[in-house]
This record gives sequence, C-alpha cells and structure tokens, in this order.
Amino acid sequence: MMTQASPATRFLTIKNSMLGLLGIFAIVASQFGGGYMVYLINLVCIFTLVSIGLNLLVGFSGQISLGHAGFFAIGAYASGLLGKNLDMPFWLSIPLGSMVATAIGALIALPALRLKNLYLAIATLGFGIVTQKLIFEWRAFTGGGGGLQVPLPKFADYDLSDGRHMFWAILFCLVIGAWMANKVAHGRTGRALAMLRESEVAAGCLGIRISHYKVIAFALSAFYAAIAGGLYAYLVRYINPESFNTNMSIMFLAMIVIGGMGSIPGALMGAAFYVIVPELLRGFKEAPGLVFGLSLVAVMVLMPTGLIGIWRKFEAKKS
Amino acid sequence: MIAELIIGGLASGSLYALIAIAIVLVLQATDIPNFAQGEMSMFSTFVAYTILNRYGLSWWGVLPLTLVLAAIQGVIVQQVVIRPLLGAPVLNAVIATLGLNIALHSLAAMIWGAQTHVMQSPLADVPNFKFFGVNVAPDSALSIVVSVAMILIFTLVLRHTRAGIALRAASQNQAVAKLMGIPINRAFAMAWAMGAVAGAVAGLLVAPIVFLDVNMMSPLLIKGFAGAVLGGLGSLGSVFVGGLMLGVIENLMSAYISASFSEALSFLLIIFVLIVAPSGIFGRVKTKKV
Repeated sequence: MMTQASPATRFLTIKNSMLGLLGIFAIVASQFGGGYMVYLINLVCIFTLVSIGLNLLVGFSGQISLGHAGFFAIGAYASGLLGKNLDMPFWLSIPLGSMVATAIGALIALPALRLKNLYLAIATLGFGIVTQKLIFEWRAFTGGGGGLQVPLPKFADYDLSDGRHMFWAILFCLVIGAWMANKVAHGRTGRALAMLRESEVAAGCLGIRISHYKVIAFALSAFYAAIAGGLYAYLVRYINPESFNTNMSIMFLAMIVIGGMGSIPGALMGAAFYVIVPELLRGFKEAPGLVFGLSLVAVMVLMPTGLIGIWRKFEAKKS
Repeated sequence: MIAELIIGGLASGSLYALIAIAIVLVLQATDIPNFAQGEMSMFSTFVAYTILNRYGLSWWGVLPLTLVLAAIQGVIVQQVVIRPLLGAPVLNAVIATLGLNIALHSLAAMIWGAQTHVMQSPLADVPNFKFFGVNVAPDSALSIVVSVAMILIFTLVLRHTRAGIALRAASQNQAVAKLMGIPINRAFAMAWAMGAVAGAVAGLLVAPIVFLDVNMMSPLLIKGFAGAVLGGLGSLGSVFVGGLMLGVIENLMSAYISASFSEALSFLLIIFVLIVAPSGIFGRVKTKKV
C-alpha cells in the first residue's frame, strides 16, 4: 500500500479485484459455512483489525509494542462490562469501551516517548502484564479468574449472537477500520509517522512534533486493538484474563511481520496465517507446534518482506 | 528474616542474570533479542537430564558434555536461522527466534512428554548451612557462585582472548572489523555459542529447584529480559546487577506487600525506572551522530 504512488488513480486493478474476490469468498463462507469455520473467519477479521492498528505503530512510526494484548483486554472488558452492568447495546459499548483504551494508550505513550527498541518492548510488555494482573485481581468488578459472561449482542431487537450474523458487524468495523487506516497512512499523519520511523532527529528538524505524533500512534493503535477486543468479547461471549497474555501480544507482532510491515492487505494475510495455518496443521497429530514454529522461521528466512512481498515481487515483474 | 529473603532473591536473581547475560551476549554482537533463548536452555537441560539418567554419568561428567552440546546448539541456530537473516530488519530475526521457540517447545514435548520430571541436584546430600548466621540453601549458594563465576569467565574471554576481542570489534563495527580481517560470521557464531552456554547453565541450575518440564523456562526468559533492561544493556556487569536486583526486589515485595502482585509490581517498578533512566539504571544514554 505504502509503496504505491497513486493507489486512488486506478480502481479496477488486479489487487482490488483480488481483494474483492477474497471479500466475496469470506462473505459466502461466513454465511454458508459450518459453525467452526464461521468462527475462524470472524477471528481472522478481528485479528486483522488489531494488525492494522499495530501496523500504524510499528510499521509506520517504527515504535514497538509487546503489550497490545493489554489494549485488546481493556477493550474486551470495558465493552463487556458496559453491556453487562449498564445494559448498553454492543454497538454503543464497544466504541465507548475503546475510548477508555485509547485514553490509556495515550497515557502509555508518555513514558514511551523516551524509550527505544528493547527498552520500549519490555516497558510495553510490563504494561500488558500489569493489565492482565489487574483484571485477575479486581474480582468484584471484572469477575477475576472466573471470567466474565458478556451479554448477547443485539441490534434493535435483532439477535446477533450467531457468528453468521455477528460477522456483518465485524466486517463493517474492519472495512471502516481499513479505510480509516488508509486515509491516515496517506495523509499528513501517515507521512509524519513515516518520517519519525526514518529519523527522529530529521523529523524534529522539519518541525514535526515528535511527541505529539508518537502519542497519536499509540492512541490510534490502542483504539484499533480495543475495538477488536470488544468485538471478540461479543463474539465469544465469555472472556477470561488468562487468554490476554504476553503470548497474545507477541502473536499480534508476529502477524504484522509475517504479513508484511506497513501494509493493510499484509495485516490480513498475517492474521489469516496465524489463525488458519495451525488449523491446517491439526492433521499432524504429534507436532502442530513444531511445524508452525518452523513455518514462522521459513517465512522470515525465505520472505524477508513478509507474505505481501510475494505479491509485490509479482507486480514488479509485471510492470 | 530479611537476610534470608535477600539471599533467596539473589539466588533467583542470579538465574535471571544468567539468562539476561545469554540474551545480551547475542544482542550486543548481532542486535537480535533472542526470544528462543528460553526454550534453547530448556532443551539443553533435557539433554543433560537424559544423559544423567539414561547413561548414568555423574554430574561432573554430564556438565562439560552439556556445555559443549549447548555451544553446538548455539552455533547451529546461528548458522541455520540467523545467518540468512543478516541485513534484514531486526524484527524479522525476532519473529524467527520466536518461531524457533515454538518449534523447540513442541519438539521437546514430543521427545520427553509434557509431564514433569525430577532432576536431582548436584548438591542433593549437602544440608542447609549457616553463613554469618543466615540460613542458606545449598542450591541458592550454588546458583549465586556459579553465576558470578560465569560472568567473570565471559568478561575475561571477551577482554583477553583473541577471539573475544575479535567478537567485540565485530559487534562495534562490522564493516571495519571485516576490513581488519576478522571473520565476522565466526565471531557471531561464537557469541551465539556463549549465549547458549550461559542459558544451559541457567537451565541446569533451575531444573533441580523447580520441576523439569517443557514450560520451565518461559517465565525465566521474560524475567531475564526485564532484568537486562533494568540494569541497562550496555555492559555485562550492569545486566548482571539488573538481574540480581530484580530477583531481590521480587522476593522482598512478595514477602512484604503481596505475593500475587509481586510480578506486576516489579514490572511497574521497571517502567518507572525506565521513565527516569531510559537506558536502564547503569546504562549510558547513547548519543547518536546524525
């Protein structure tokens, strides 16, 4: 996405039609597939949303986060609790809950302003661990280790608890999210963030307010993760702090690297890889982890620019 | 009471420090945070366990054999996984080590099963002893002594051997080192071998204290990273002290404040330390020329 000079000039490119076909496939499979398949498709869409947001932070502005499971968890719990305690409908509680996570994301950015590389990685990792612990221990409010039962997602008396129906809500968020990220990436903010990644000193000399944009990047990516968390909560309807662990944060990071940094279709590919490949490997009774781990290594060694790199190479050859 | 807590903290801290050193040796040489270090250590420990139990060697026979195997393991990982990624973004290498972590975890579970094993301690028949009136468990004393010895050995190797100096030169400036005739690849392989050895020692020390199973090292890996960052990644000494501090802080907090919150509290503390000192307590802020 980033490297294309004028993505808006031609609408009917191969890429767009591929994306369209993929969308149609996802819609058909989500409406007519089996329950488990529908669940997997929903999961891919939710994780794609997280990856798109994390891409703004890592791929565009060159920061790093090993704590995004924390934002995902805050989004899930905030919207779940709003729905449960205040009887709020899910389409209101998810954005409101995400506001909370966005504010926390902006707050987290403040200490992160001075940190770099591994220091930043460990500080954000600490944020994720602290968040998970707080959810565990604040039993009266969150239900603690016993988990939280999230109410049925309803849209004006229309029940969305079936994954096939929930898919439309998730797809709606994904399309809006991808469109918004595209706008941000190609606008003033995106250029500022890219400059930040290349050189903070140079960005500062050009009059780009470094701390301002770092806070924006953190808050935006927290917002995406939290929306995804909220959708996840209403999709599975039972959440437990156990699942929002460091491994999940690492998994989010792995998704964007596997898919390809700084690319929205890449985010989709990375999320799909992470959800679907382990499913395909279930046949290998003994060693799904072994094959999956080795496939991560193989993707990185053979395709250093991620899965999207194959596509870019193909396009470069064609032109 | 407080003295015992500090000794216990130093013992677990020295294990964090060993993992932290394993990570930083590789990080300084190749800029890659090795997220596979935990499972590499676990794997080496299982190998030692197998030699110990199946072939009936004594601890003193097993130890050198394990360390040699660990060094080979480090070189293999560097040559097969890391070398092709030279020049690629660091995050790629991070994800590759992550993949390796998952693969090794699963491989170990296939070979040795998911159940817990009991690894005998080399000091199983040594009773607790008093050190200036403080009760000390022999395993704790061993961890502390061994880790101090390891850091001394590594520092000496890096400062005073030809290969060590070559390694430091290669990690400072690859291009110039290459022009000076230093085989870069061999130097990096040595860094990985040293890291793997430090990790294997940590695994051998921790296995008799907790039970030996495939999940043994993953909490230790995160603590190792945290300790390294707390001290500052600049030198082995600061990393070592950072690991020890983390162990002591954690132990004191779990005793005096809350056992269940001690991990979260120590991470909060690390975040606050990093706000004040963004390169760790003993780290100097690197000034970068434009």
